[in-house]
Amino acid sequence: MSDRAGITRRGLFRGIGTAGLLAGCKPSERPPTTTDDPGAAASPGEETAVGPGPAPLSFTLNGEAKTLEVAPNITLLAALREQLRFTGTKVVCDRGACGACTVLIDGVPRNSCMTLAHDVAGAAVTTVEGLASGGKLSVLQQAFVRNDALQCGFCTSGMLMSCQGLLERTRGQKLAREDVEAAIAGNLCRCGTYPNVVAAVLEAAGGSA
Amino acid sequence: MPDGRKVTLKVGFAEQLRDIEVQLPAGEPKPWDARSELQVIGKPHPRLEAPLKVSGAAKYTHDIVPPNALWAAVLRSPHACAVVEAIDVAPAKGLPGVSAVLALVKPGERVIFAGQDIAAVAAKTPEQADAALRAIAVTYKPEAFVVDTAAAMQDGAPLVHRGKVQERSTEGDEPGAGGSAGQRGNIRTSPSMKKGDAHKGLRMAKVSHEATYTTQVHTHSALETHSIVVQWDGPKQATVWCSTQGIFSVRDEFAEVFELGPADVRVHTDFLGGGFGAKFGASAPGSRMGFIAGELARQAGAPVRLLLDRKEEHLCTGNRPDSRQHVKLGAGPNGQLTAIHVVAHGTAGIGTGAGVGRNAFGIYSRCPNILVESHDVFTHGGPGTAMRAPGHPQGAFALELALDELAKKLKLDPIDLRLQHDEHPVRRHQFELGRKQFGWDEGRKQAAVLRDKNARVRRGFGVAASIWGDFGRGKAVVATVSVARDGSVEVKNGLQDIGGGITTVVAQVVAEVLQRPVEAVRVRLGDSELGPSVGSGGSVTTASVTPAVRAAAEAVKEQLTALAAKQLDRKPEEVTWSGGQARAGSKSIAWAELCKKIEGEAVVATGTRPETYGAYPVKFMGGNSYQIAGVQFAEVRVDTWTGVVAVERVLAIHDCGKVMNPLTCRSQVQGGVILGTSYALTEQRVMDRVRGVMLNPNLESYKIAGARDVPRAIDVVFTPVDTGANNTGAIGIGEPSTIPTAAAIACAVHDALGVAVRDLPLTPDRVLAALGVVPTRGAS
Repeated sequence: MSDRAGITRRGLFRGIGTAGLLAGCKPSERPPTTTDDPGAAASPGEETAVGPGPAPLSFTLNGEAKTLEVAPNITLLAALREQLRFTGTKVVCDRGACGACTVLIDGVPRNSCMTLAHDVAGAAVTTVEGLASGGKLSVLQQAFVRNDALQCGFCTSGMLMSCQGLLERTRGQKLAREDVEAAIAGNLCRCGTYPNVVAAVLEAAGGSA
Repeated sequence: MPDGRKVTLKVGFAEQLRDIEVQLPAGEPKPWDARSELQVIGKPHPRLEAPLKVSGAAKYTHDIVPPNALWAAVLRSPHACAVVEAIDVAPAKGLPGVSAVLALVKPGERVIFAGQDIAAVAAKTPEQADAALRAIAVTYKPEAFVVDTAAAMQDGAPLVHRGKVQERSTEGDEPGAGGSAGQRGNIRTSPSMKKGDAHKGLRMAKVSHEATYTTQVHTHSALETHSIVVQWDGPKQATVWCSTQGIFSVRDEFAEVFELGPADVRVHTDFLGGGFGAKFGASAPGSRMGFIAGELARQAGAPVRLLLDRKEEHLCTGNRPDSRQHVKLGAGPNGQLTAIHVVAHGTAGIGTGAGVGRNAFGIYSRCPNILVESHDVFTHGGPGTAMRAPGHPQGAFALELALDELAKKLKLDPIDLRLQHDEHPVRRHQFELGRKQFGWDEGRKQAAVLRDKNARVRRGFGVAASIWGDFGRGKAVVATVSVARDGSVEVKNGLQDIGGGITTVVAQVVAEVLQRPVEAVRVRLGDSELGPSVGSGGSVTTASVTPAVRAAAEAVKEQLTALAAKQLDRKPEEVTWSGGQARAGSKSIAWAELCKKIEGEAVVATGTRPETYGAYPVKFMGGNSYQIAGVQFAEVRVDTWTGVVAVERVLAIHDCGKVMNPLTCRSQVQGGVILGTSYALTEQRVMDRVRGVMLNPNLESYKIAGARDVPRAIDVVFTPVDTGANNTGAIGIGEPSTIPTAAAIACAVHDALGVAVRDLPLTPDRVLAALGVVPTRGAS
């Protein structure tokens, strides 16, 4: 399960804007612009420089369209917490080592501390606040509660998002303990709830321990 | 309420129950004992606050943003030891977004660890605060330093402290620990624990064992970093949100620093993301956070948020000190211990508290001669502080592994050697229980076969014991329970829930007494205005809080009983309760109907708990409290080619008095085992001896156990004990559950290899060195 590698090189380039990245280079040092990147070439507007000041960013957050002004060096995590005040996603290491800030970007679990906010332009972002619907906890959330898969609760948001990603990409399949452990291998918990998290996910997936 | 009375309690454990007489203080309900038939207490119940935590709605201090709040950041010393020659904060003042700048050192002052407070700023955004820190000019004159414990002990080592050392103690410390018996160079001697004559006992021994054991510095690494948010509501009045284990310790320290009355400081901790001993007071152990946030907010005229980052969390918020323990054991020909002698040195950096606990002194008490001598060794590192059972995991590791090495020389089974010397009947019961349940005898035989075959992958079985005291505090908690006319039930106390699950347990106690559903009890915690309470340290919370809550609930029930008697036209003593209904003779009145008859808004009562009045069957040394027992068994798999240790199984058998909520209690024990496993195998602070700084202040090279690093199976067994200590029978579990884990794992590795790895963490290089495959690198 290597699909949560966090930021990709391409993603970084897209996030800060290719022109913005190259702005610091002398013209003679600039590499030729390639067009073999379907992601970067998808929209001509993306080639526009972003920054150094705040620039408009639109994406979908928990199903709701959001547009805000974000500086190009701001991480998705900081934008969520400090600008949008969605504080369910937690800051723990702020450098991709602990998974506490995991969110789903187009269904894939990512460390939001390693993703620039502008990286999610046009994408669908789901945070822990988006798991429940109509005030009702999801099956996974309920399983966390029943199995006591949390103590202090500070890793819980990130744990849930990694597990939600697992459930979405394995929908209908029977899961083994090892699948869950691999999915949460990047999520650190200091209270020691891992076994209960595994039990909760297996229960939510309808598998057996 | 009747005046003080004598009651008979059925106390004890397992088959060993007996009646004792206890004199109850006035107003105290009769304690729940082995005869009590409880409906809610002792039954698993999911956490009441869990829905908030799984939906991101729980607000931690990190998440608190008062209107117009500023972001604070602290400049920290890059030097392990230096004199500040000049500091100029002026350039930071005019920068965009900056509202307040504070110098925290004066020219001529000496800083003595890398990470010490130098200056602080408050600005609109984190980026602006960082830019402001970079603009502050400081000139340092670096001085000689020492960050290595052994080097700091040598004559001529750079002196860390040049004056008398101030001991900083918190509610996280073990009661009775601390104090000094003299200081020389960087070595400060703690009062020794002594019984009989250990030197003579060693001389009398027929078989002896002597070796040095070392443990590493362990950082708390709570996921929520130390954080404090300050809002001045007036010149002499403040609201403080703090990620703390002790709301009242924050209130009192903040009030003292700013010369306010305690009542003028209101502290909120709705949720906190872990603490493990490091979060007491408005300050962190190595950073004056309360003063910094408060003063910046005062100067800026706006609320200030001070949230440490992960690096700061490692450097200046406390740690578990390291240890070098020289252990000498002596035994007679049939394995009778004649002496235990431990000389321990450890560093709590610039702080104190590197003692190794009471494992060596307290557990194997049939040994007639015991001497434990602990020393703090000062180094130029961030101060240590209490960490989940301060001193005990290190003490357990050295003693238990040394016992196993002695047992091997004596050709004795490690459990037999322990049973021969442990007087605690509950722990003896736990040893016997675990021996059967864990498959000890068969497992040890299999391990020996693999060892004899020189198999690549070995198995090993180890066991170690836990000792802690029931430090539940009397007269510290005042809980309020109210029942309103609409039938709703509320319980209030200024307590914080660190993650142990006390919120739910408090509701269970009220639900038990008033015969209401647990969900129907509204629990309000996390606010200093909700009544005095204790810190979440020393494993005292449940034992201190639940008896006060019960006393309040019983007082409310008594008023409701009187009300029911009036409604039913009977005497109060004729009224009985069942299924939430009050009955007298053939008449009854339902809860909702009864509550409608309440005069005024609500029936309200407060409750507190008296000092402990029972400690059956064994007292913790030097006190009047019960000695909590625990035993853990570990099975490991060791690859002798790679040196990698994996923990297959841990069986944790613990006594925590009367178990209130088995679901959350089990989680807590499991967490203690996982923390202990992480300590045993991977975690260690690495200091750069050349530059004097921590090399791994992060979570990628400071390795805490992930989901795949923990034992494959953790079985938790409770051996409930009715101690008669308080009216709910609750005692603590947070700390006891992590004490023996690393020791049991180390003993299992010894069993697997036939040689001991005497240094924690049990890294592959050390395993291979113990096997003689690679040269010894030596302990750090």
